Amino acid sequence: MWKLKKTNIVAFSILAASPFLIAIVALVSVMYGTKDISAITVWQAIAEFDPSNVDHQIIRTGRIPRIVAVLLVGAFLAVAGAVMQGITRNYLASPSLMGVNDGSAFVITLAIVFFPGLPNYQMILLSMLGSALGAGIVFGFGSLIRNGLSPVRLAIIGTVIGTFLSSIATAIAMYFQVSQTVSVWYNTKVHMVDMDMLMLSIPFGLVGLVLALLSAKAITITSLGEDIAIGLGQKTKAVKIISMLAVVCLTGTAVALVGKIAFVGLVIPHITRFLVGVDYRFIIPCGAVVGAFFLALCDVLSRFVNYPFETPIGVLTALVGVPFFLYLVRKHGGEKRA
Amino acid sequence: MRKKTSSVFVMTVSILILLIFGASYLHLTNGVFDMSVMDVIKTLLRIESNPKFDLVIFEFRLPRIIIAALVGVGLGMAGVVLQGITRNGLADPGILGINAGAGAAVVIFMFFFQLHLTSADMSSWLSILMMPIFGFVGGTMAAVLIFSFALKNGHLDMQRLILTGIAINSGFGALSLFLSLKMNAQDFEAAAVWMAGSIYNANWIFVVTMLPWLILLGFYVYRKSYLLDYFQLEEDSITSLGIAVEKEKMKLLLAGVGLVSACVSVSGSIGFIGLMAPHIAKQLVGIQHRYVMPVSALIGAGLLITADFIGKTVFAPSELAVGIVVSIIGIPYFLYLLVKSKA
Repeated sequence: MWKLKKTNIVAFSILAASPFLIAIVALVSVMYGTKDISAITVWQAIAEFDPSNVDHQIIRTGRIPRIVAVLLVGAFLAVAGAVMQGITRNYLASPSLMGVNDGSAFVITLAIVFFPGLPNYQMILLSMLGSALGAGIVFGFGSLIRNGLSPVRLAIIGTVIGTFLSSIATAIAMYFQVSQTVSVWYNTKVHMVDMDMLMLSIPFGLVGLVLALLSAKAITITSLGEDIAIGLGQKTKAVKIISMLAVVCLTGTAVALVGKIAFVGLVIPHITRFLVGVDYRFIIPCGAVVGAFFLALCDVLSRFVNYPFETPIGVLTALVGVPFFLYLVRKHGGEKRA
Repeated sequence: MRKKTSSVFVMTVSILILLIFGASYLHLTNGVFDMSVMDVIKTLLRIESNPKFDLVIFEFRLPRIIIAALVGVGLGMAGVVLQGITRNGLADPGILGINAGAGAAVVIFMFFFQLHLTSADMSSWLSILMMPIFGFVGGTMAAVLIFSFALKNGHLDMQRLILTGIAINSGFGALSLFLSLKMNAQDFEAAAVWMAGSIYNANWIFVVTMLPWLILLGFYVYRKSYLLDYFQLEEDSITSLGIAVEKEKMKLLLAGVGLVSACVSVSGSIGFIGLMAPHIAKQLVGIQHRYVMPVSALIGAGLLITADFIGKTVFAPSELAVGIVVSIIGIPYFLYLLVKSKA
């Protein structure tokens, strides 16, 4: 407990600095792109919107929804990853490695093929269902195998099942000849965020965030180990259910909004833990901020790596994520730390 | 005992060859343009040749089947080598990321040489012949990366090997995607089709490209296959038999990577063949690698021809890339092996 005071300072300074950092990255994101727009025009577009002005239209319909979506998705994925890592005590747990993302995208594909033209909110609900499905399959398989819930084994199972789901989805889409519609959903599409979807996803995601924040204390206790948690009088089952619900809400919404983005949910919780310590009451809010900032930064960069064309944002997150992942595997190693 | 194994071996091989011919027959006669058996035989024997049948068989279907068979052979053998060297039943060039490394190198090559895969003049012939070499460089790089990350205190940790492979896969995948997006539209299309692991644009140039590699490395690996038997022993016992373990392992590994690269450079990344074929082969003919190796090669060829046939008929009129068909079949098998390995 002696460390708590120090972490408080770092955590609070992250939270205090976050509005400025996010405002800066948001402004940059709105101003620069294929067409550069001055800060004054941005302000005018927000304050006194002129529908006949092309720049104003770009800002209102293109850039602002985009940055809002990216910030939200970054926060959602980071928190989902943090919750998963805390609950499963698995340093490799994250939506993309555990098949949660793929489950969402899989169910969305099925929905597009068999029930085209569903309203957006049902799409989000289905996406959440898919998250639960993906996580269910992976953890179910993990518990079937002896030692299957060890970090490394679960990551292997998760990746393989993720590949399997996406292969099946591709095959189904091909068979019903809707692969183009589906690939738009399946790949990240930060450049064409749907305004209605954005409005809808905010409440769903907020439910997830609130659930995560409410269970933060319990997650910290769970992360000490099942026995200790039970000894401290925690209802471990309830905590697990609530936090999985949070993960499903967060990932499902994120995938429904922009598609699959890998590595954010893996990397950000680790960085945050390094900064603020092991208490999830700090990791979860700070992780949300760091995740939002990180993904927004990647998004801005993605427009300039191959200017004037855009690079998929997943390429940039992989650029950061892959070396980090390798580092984690090397540091923690295999079965011994199960 | 030995006698029995070898007669089982002969029988297995003959049955497999029959199966491969059966699959090829289905593949040749079915498709968007159905043909009767007589038509196929007549065309192949050049009796009353009909230019329409000639075109379908010699330009489209035959090269495709041959490519499928060759890639299957290459991946099947490479899988045996990798599983033998790493002593890991779950090793597969696709899972380990060697495919992705070779693939990224080939994309780099396509990008810098602005390759037009459709034209057939002399210069593009030359550049297509160069592709496996580039693939080899990339595949070797990936292999070196994977093994240096997975090596700890001088021994290979299996779990870590697979995890590193996953990371390498997504890293090189991102690189390939990034580069292919920088290409012009025509090259991009070629690269995208190729990356999905498809062989439906196969032609004779590709056959010529990979054949020398396959023959050379295939024979080398087959000749050395007895070594893989020794590698299953403890390291100390192998050394005391007078085998330069590390050197031989390295040579075999390079040969395996070479086989994979030759396959990847014509067909794109196809996973799980190198995983399934050796296991099935071991079920059939036991664990001696000089039997396992050819059987695994034939099984690989059979699997790939069948998968390609499924991909082209079930999803007609569109086609599913053979790589996707293979992973739908292969992943349940992988999970089954994973469950079994710890049971």
